[in-house]
Amino acid sequence: MELKFRHRDYKSEEQVHSLHRVAAVTHPLSLQSPSRDQVDVTDYGRDEFFDPLRGDHGKPEDSMKGLGRTSTEIAGEPYRDIAIHFLGKEWTSYKKVLMQKFPVSKMISISSLSSSIMKTGKGPEKPSTDVHLEELDEEGVNYITLQEYVSRLTELKDEISRAWHASDRVTSFNLSIKVAKLLSDTSVLQFYPTLFVLATEILDMLGDMVWERIRQKAEYTEYGTLVHLPDNFQATHICAEAKETCYNWFCKVGSIRELLPRIYLELAIYHCWRFLSEQPANNLPRLVMMARGIADPLASFYCRLYLAHCAQKLPQRDIGLLIISMNDMKILLMNGAHVSSTKKPSGALSGTRSSKLGLMEPAIEYVMKCLFKESCELLQIGDILMGLGLARNQSELFGNSSCVSLVLHHLLRELPIRIVCSNALDILHLIECSNDYSFDQCLNYKLLGLRLCENISHVNEVNLVMKKVIQVVSQFNSLDEYLNVVDAHVDIALQKHMNSYLDSILDGIFERTLDDEIGENELSSLQSILLKILNHFDNLENILRLNHFNQILSVMQGSSRTIVNTQILSIATRNSCVRDPTTIQFLFEVSRSLHDSINLSTIKEKENNHSAHLVSHFIHMVDYDSEVELHLDFLVQCRGAFGSMSEVKEMIVHSSNLLVVKATRNDISDVIFVKSCIACSEVTISSIPSHLKQLNLYLETAEVALMAGLVSNSDGLVDSALRCLHNVDLFEGSRMPKDIDGFQSTLCKFCSLIVMIPGNIERGVTSIPRNMFSILSSLSWMLPSMKAKMLCALILTVAALSQNNLLYHATHDEVMGNDSLFYCDQQYLQELSSFSAVLLQSLIDTVVQEPIQAARGNLALDACNAIASSFGVCQGASDFSSKLVETAKLSLSSNNKYLQSTIEFLNNRGLVQRGET
Amino acid sequence: MSVEIKLSRSNRIYRPNEPVEGKIVTKLSSSISHQGIRLKVNASVNLQVRGGSAGVIESFYGVIKPITILNKTVEVLKSGRISSGSTEIPFSFWLKDPGEKPLEKFYETYHGGDISIQYLVSVDISRGYLHKSLSATMEFIIESEKGLENLPEKPISPEMVIFYMTQDTQRHSLLPELKSGGFRVSGKMCTLCSLSDPIEGELTIESSAVPIQSIDIHLLRLESILVGEKIATESSLIQTTQIADGDVCRGMTLPIYIILPRLLTCPSIFAGPFSIEFKVTLVITFQSEQSKVHSKSNFKTLKSWHAAESIPLELIRTK
Repeated sequence: MELKFRHRDYKSEEQVHSLHRVAAVTHPLSLQSPSRDQVDVTDYGRDEFFDPLRGDHGKPEDSMKGLGRTSTEIAGEPYRDIAIHFLGKEWTSYKKVLMQKFPVSKMISISSLSSSIMKTGKGPEKPSTDVHLEELDEEGVNYITLQEYVSRLTELKDEISRAWHASDRVTSFNLSIKVAKLLSDTSVLQFYPTLFVLATEILDMLGDMVWERIRQKAEYTEYGTLVHLPDNFQATHICAEAKETCYNWFCKVGSIRELLPRIYLELAIYHCWRFLSEQPANNLPRLVMMARGIADPLASFYCRLYLAHCAQKLPQRDIGLLIISMNDMKILLMNGAHVSSTKKPSGALSGTRSSKLGLMEPAIEYVMKCLFKESCELLQIGDILMGLGLARNQSELFGNSSCVSLVLHHLLRELPIRIVCSNALDILHLIECSNDYSFDQCLNYKLLGLRLCENISHVNEVNLVMKKVIQVVSQFNSLDEYLNVVDAHVDIALQKHMNSYLDSILDGIFERTLDDEIGENELSSLQSILLKILNHFDNLENILRLNHFNQILSVMQGSSRTIVNTQILSIATRNSCVRDPTTIQFLFEVSRSLHDSINLSTIKEKENNHSAHLVSHFIHMVDYDSEVELHLDFLVQCRGAFGSMSEVKEMIVHSSNLLVVKATRNDISDVIFVKSCIACSEVTISSIPSHLKQLNLYLETAEVALMAGLVSNSDGLVDSALRCLHNVDLFEGSRMPKDIDGFQSTLCKFCSLIVMIPGNIERGVTSIPRNMFSILSSLSWMLPSMKAKMLCALILTVAALSQNNLLYHATHDEVMGNDSLFYCDQQYLQELSSFSAVLLQSLIDTVVQEPIQAARGNLALDACNAIASSFGVCQGASDFSSKLVETAKLSLSSNNKYLQSTIEFLNNRGLVQRGET
Repeated sequence: MSVEIKLSRSNRIYRPNEPVEGKIVTKLSSSISHQGIRLKVNASVNLQVRGGSAGVIESFYGVIKPITILNKTVEVLKSGRISSGSTEIPFSFWLKDPGEKPLEKFYETYHGGDISIQYLVSVDISRGYLHKSLSATMEFIIESEKGLENLPEKPISPEMVIFYMTQDTQRHSLLPELKSGGFRVSGKMCTLCSLSDPIEGELTIESSAVPIQSIDIHLLRLESILVGEKIATESSLIQTTQIADGDVCRGMTLPIYIILPRLLTCPSIFAGPFSIEFKVTLVITFQSEQSKVHSKSNFKTLKSWHAAESIPLELIRTK
């Protein structure tokens, strides 16, 4: 069979086919102004490392606010974040949070009093004398399971509601008293908040039932007609009978002997005062004072919490009683030693005291929240502060000198930000004077810092404030405390460009890291501080100029270190090349530490990928300029250091190849250097796990070697590439092949490389394409469609090789193309022709194997096009084309456009007679 | 077959110058004939002297003849028939007939220990000798007339008494540690109080070496009865109200606020044959080993771990 390659004159073809070119007035990409480009870039960088949910609040202070309040940061302080966004939310959600904050163990210790209430659920009630005797017997503590306790409370709740609806209101009242009595037992400790929530739910239910009953009575006039009671009714509109019933309820409550249940029950029905009085809040101060009679601090604090809650059911707000409540709690806290000393001998107290304080804290928090809930007026805030004994007058808001630190803490949290900002110096003084057992002073300093950071631009006398803060923290010996406070304030120093303060902060940290142990808390604070600094400067040179930055970084470890490292790398390599050798060395160490941390935690794939991406980006950005040898040394160093990051190794190969290109371009024809670059690439490629990636990199390196004139190296690399090809398996065990297009384009690239490689007579001029063909034929997983496309590509390659003047050549002068080597060599052409016959036969066989009809038709047409492009008019080409056209006609409908245009093309090329179609 | 009295006011409170109104409700399975429906109104002060109280001779023990305030019969219906099912027969009567001079003053209703003042109305449907008559009784409550001129206007001027309690003001023996450590409690309380208002006052623990267990306020009644030539006086507890539970903070003012219970209290009375007075006793219980054993305190017998202060209380009805 005769095959004749089509002769191509690429130059004239280009002239015929290329469009007429006109010079453009402006560069199409220069339409956007450069500054806008800049913005886009930085925004992109931000989004990458900040929470994307924060949206477009890109301002630094916003981001710090977010950081300052995250739960990880304050994990060290228990329940500090109880209902941070409470204002405006419901009591129910507050209760939920309260319960979650104090998880309860399975067993609850209870006093004999509550155990007698608990017992009454089972069997008939015992005569009171028996119960009394039992109380005497059961000296000490009893235990009950949480489940029992809760189910008994639920039982009580059901009983109360059942009795009420059976008109046995006395029983439901008496049972409610029992429930309230449970609240006087604080020996349940950790369970108390939960108990409080459950018990007040029952009491609130009773309060609502009483309210509803009186409302119903009020909706009937004395003549029995129904009237609607508006929500904002006045006590004067209420009929006498409803008032009578209402007053009776208060009488009943008033007859309860014990103080605590009496207060709770009056509070539960307190909103019913609206039926009796135009000023329903008038009795609240009395209840506030009554709560003083409860000596147990825990019980009395929660009583005040409930009071604050119940007071909100009234239409009028009264901050006065909240202030009295708060002041009473303050006094109790100040007398803390006295209160606890009556319970247990001192000494062993420190532990229980702090846990009890923790239990009491929600009450202070809630009352403080209520206090500032609607007080936005400056005058009112002045009143509150005066009420709390802090302000001397409306203008001197923090004139007096001290406050209980726990109360101060919650005050600081609730104060409007502008008050905090305009009185920062006074508040600092206040914190300094308020140092007691109830709360860690340094956390108050920290809180102040965080609040100030909410609006740094409004802080008054910011310089003095920072001076004072630095002075305060310099007294701290503990690293943890130091970091806590500094972390909160560092943003101010950064934003106000107080470099000397920043220096002294870093000095302080460094000094304390020398002899203090660094635990989890310290690490997370360090992380936060360093991130703030990094984000502020956004430029590595400036950061490295800071005192001790490097040393501080080196004491860090674990995930915090990784996070900081990640941020350093991303900042350093974001915009420009890295040229400075010390910076390169620093970043190399950072990268190495990042790489090493991956070995420890191989689970987080995504993070690891991100790290690898950053490191490889860093390597990409490194630029030694003309010092190519140093650059190569660096790459070799990297290869040793980042063994477990495949992406990084790819980058090393690219970079070292780039070095070769650079060297050739700049006429640094140092063969030894180029060879070592290529050797470096070659060695690195072999350690990359993916065969497909290896294949690509071998091809790239082979091309580079060819470019540098190293034909034998190139041949070796092509051989390696072929070995790789042999091992490629796109299925990798799965049912669907991965990245078919990528693989096909790799093979096309390979084919195009073949055009440049000088044929080796010893191995046979077509040895490379033949090898490639045989490997492709041997790959069992190849689909017919893929194989057909590869065969087309090979046919086109062989056709290209047959030309007297090749389409392109290797750039190196010493590398001769096949057109020069085998110009008009008949043997050479014969070899090509016979190989193409093999390919064509294989192509036809392959096309037929395609199972899907339409795809088969298209493949056949693809093959026809390849033949028509490659061969001139000859019998062989005509035969193959006819066969393929037949196959296509069987598979596709006759008006298929591809079919029609292909036949048209074949006709034009003279491969098929017009009559045949 | 039943009969009951329903008064026009659900709280059953009437004043002497008001008509008492209501309905007699019969629920019958078949209609009956009757020989008239009458209401009997009976009001009296019942007195009794219990044994054991000091100075009373054994032989006087028991019930003393009650003092009648009112005893009258009102005919509601003349003889006739009442049909089956539920029937309501309205009635209305005056305690004070315009011309009539009452036997006694209309004291306010009071349910006490030895003395009680009760106003009862009972219905009687007589059905001849062959059938048992149907009857029912209902208590109604009398409060002093609001229109009376001798009642003081509200608000009454607060008559407060200031008191101090220390280890030296106690007349019973105290625990040695109480005696030596000392305590000082100050406070004030009203001594004249309107029945419709709470008893108000305040109390402050200024100091106490021994921790406090509880502070309770006992509301007491003093009931005196003239027996022959002697007066038998008995004090008893009406209500206890705790105002401090545990060792409360020193120097903090605790409020005293006691709502007076209805029926169990009335305006203080000084009548010839009897008198009803009230007082408040404030008892501080200190923590001690012994107090744990006797956890329930008795207002009458003060123990060595108690400190007490009694304040007389005059109750009045205001407009």
